[in-house]
Amino acid sequence: MIPGFTQTMVNFLQYIFFYTVFSLPLTLSYRTTKVINFVHANFITYGAYTAVFLHGVLGNSSIVIAAFLAFVIVGGMAVLDNLLVFTQLQKRGSSPAMVMISSMGLWIAYRYLLYVLTDIMHFYTSKNFVSYGRITYSDIPSISLAEFNLSQAFIASMVATILVVSSLYLILEKTRMGRAMRAISDNATLAEISGIPRNLVINLTWFLCGGITAVGGVLWTSFSGAITPEAGDSMILQVFTIGFIGGLASLLRTSIGAIIIAFMENIGIAFLNTYLGVPVSFRPFLTFIALLTTLILFPPLGAGGGLPYRFRKRGLSQ
Amino acid sequence: MIGFDIVGFIISWLTLFGIYAILSLTLNMESGVSGVTNFGKVVFYGIGAYISATLTTYLILMLNGVDIVENPPYNINGVILLGELGSKNPVLNIGLFILSVFLSFIVAGFVGYLLSYPILRVGPEFVGFTLLSTGELLRIFLLHFEPVGASKGLMAIPNPLGWIPDSRVRETLYLIVILAFLALTYTVMKRLLNSPLGRTLKSVRDDETAALCMGKHVPKIKALVLFIGSGFTGVAGTLLSYYFTSVNPNMFVPSVTFNAWAMIILGGMGNLTGSLLGAALITLVDRLLTFITPLLGITVISPDYVRWIIIGLLIVVVLIVNPRGILPEKPIKTPALQQVEEELKK
Repeated sequence: MIPGFTQTMVNFLQYIFFYTVFSLPLTLSYRTTKVINFVHANFITYGAYTAVFLHGVLGNSSIVIAAFLAFVIVGGMAVLDNLLVFTQLQKRGSSPAMVMISSMGLWIAYRYLLYVLTDIMHFYTSKNFVSYGRITYSDIPSISLAEFNLSQAFIASMVATILVVSSLYLILEKTRMGRAMRAISDNATLAEISGIPRNLVINLTWFLCGGITAVGGVLWTSFSGAITPEAGDSMILQVFTIGFIGGLASLLRTSIGAIIIAFMENIGIAFLNTYLGVPVSFRPFLTFIALLTTLILFPPLGAGGGLPYRFRKRGLSQ
Repeated sequence: MIGFDIVGFIISWLTLFGIYAILSLTLNMESGVSGVTNFGKVVFYGIGAYISATLTTYLILMLNGVDIVENPPYNINGVILLGELGSKNPVLNIGLFILSVFLSFIVAGFVGYLLSYPILRVGPEFVGFTLLSTGELLRIFLLHFEPVGASKGLMAIPNPLGWIPDSRVRETLYLIVILAFLALTYTVMKRLLNSPLGRTLKSVRDDETAALCMGKHVPKIKALVLFIGSGFTGVAGTLLSYYFTSVNPNMFVPSVTFNAWAMIILGGMGNLTGSLLGAALITLVDRLLTFITPLLGITVISPDYVRWIIIGLLIVVVLIVNPRGILPEKPIKTPALQQVEEELKK
């Protein structure tokens, strides 16, 4: 038995919740809009900083208000990105690679814009926003199981994950909007021919995806001890790997990916640390191995326009 | 403008330009010409820089008979010893320089070759992300790996021309070395682009399936391009480490890659002269900002952040307004094509 086993288990569950909330929108947005979106990292950070600014500047301590505002603000940000950049590029007939590069450009701009915002807020309130401490929210009840106290972050993210997963299921399976989204992700042209307002549905998808990711960011503020403007960037490896395990197509497989990565990053590294002395800070390497394994053994065929090469003894040139 | 050192400014600008132009030329070869969306330029850059830094500091200490177990180059004694011993022997310095250029070319190229394996079967989205995350992992590894100085990095790397007493002469000579490497890279890339291989690369970029059907071994070609491109990037890393005479993990953040991307997008993807132009423009703005920033005093918003916002928006705006860049890609003039054109004129 490894030391601190209960805490490791709690963290494992905690990270499952976070990764699910972060990576489901990534898969959903890619399969509907076919844009690989590096701004996803900014969605997390901006969600977190909506909560931070509300707490630090306006003195808000309600997670419901923070989550709602973050949903609206970041959702609007995602729609704006789509209207001003992605749609423009796709209208010009740019290749998916070009759209990806533009999302990378937006990622840099947003990231440093946040630094500028923290500087301005620091100027007015003289609080340190570049490394902000954990926020204690007043409207999360405290629950203890047996002799074990559940943290605020655990309760909030559990509730949020259940809400996100069930509402995504209901939207996608039970509503007309969800059916339209699924139709567009299967075949956009056919969906458009059968009368689905494609642009509207895509904008709504972006709003939903940005919003959900931002809620994840708000949850992060109740967990992380130091919230920095790079919070989202440091999680991008895990989130994208989970998306790749899901092939950027299947939401169910994405959730399974979240469990796999959370397992490797918490229980796997704890075992390696105890028995082989691997430093805990080498945790991302496990995720990277998972990423390479996914790409080599289960390449997400077709998803990114790749060709199904196989390496046989007789090469392709023969 | 008292004390504005115009010669120093030009030398530092050209040095930076030389290093970044190698990056943008090879990136253009990989991404603009052959369609491998390389978001991990910084991996090979970092590998090159760290290899030359480690090799030079350790070997200088060892060859001078210092016990590197007691005085490793990353602690304070090692740094002091390096400062004393670093520039005594010109032959040793230059020899180590040549050795590190070779080694960083081979190692960075080999890493690029290996990395081409997992990314061959997936599209540009996955390629870009995999290479990007490799860069972050390299940084995390360097941050925690003690023999290369962990988060402090390696300092007092002896410059190959460190034995020249006058600093202005030394800087100018080193600049000439860098520009020579740039010229070499440009020639190699230009020759590659104009060869049959270059035209195959363009066909792979435009339509992979079609290239495969024409009997081109696409995986092999992509691996080759990554080998050559990464090798030259490794050399750029070597030049950087000797120029700054120190390396630390935070020099190799993804922003370096984005800088190179902004250069090739601004200059024009698929056009080598465009990459030079893009590199020149962006490094010029960079240097000007570094010179101007101290004159502004303390501002609420750091000019560095504004610079990055501009770089990011520049990529987006150029892609929307003029995706071909300042100098658009031109068709390659092959002898056969020229003959056809002459026949048509008659």
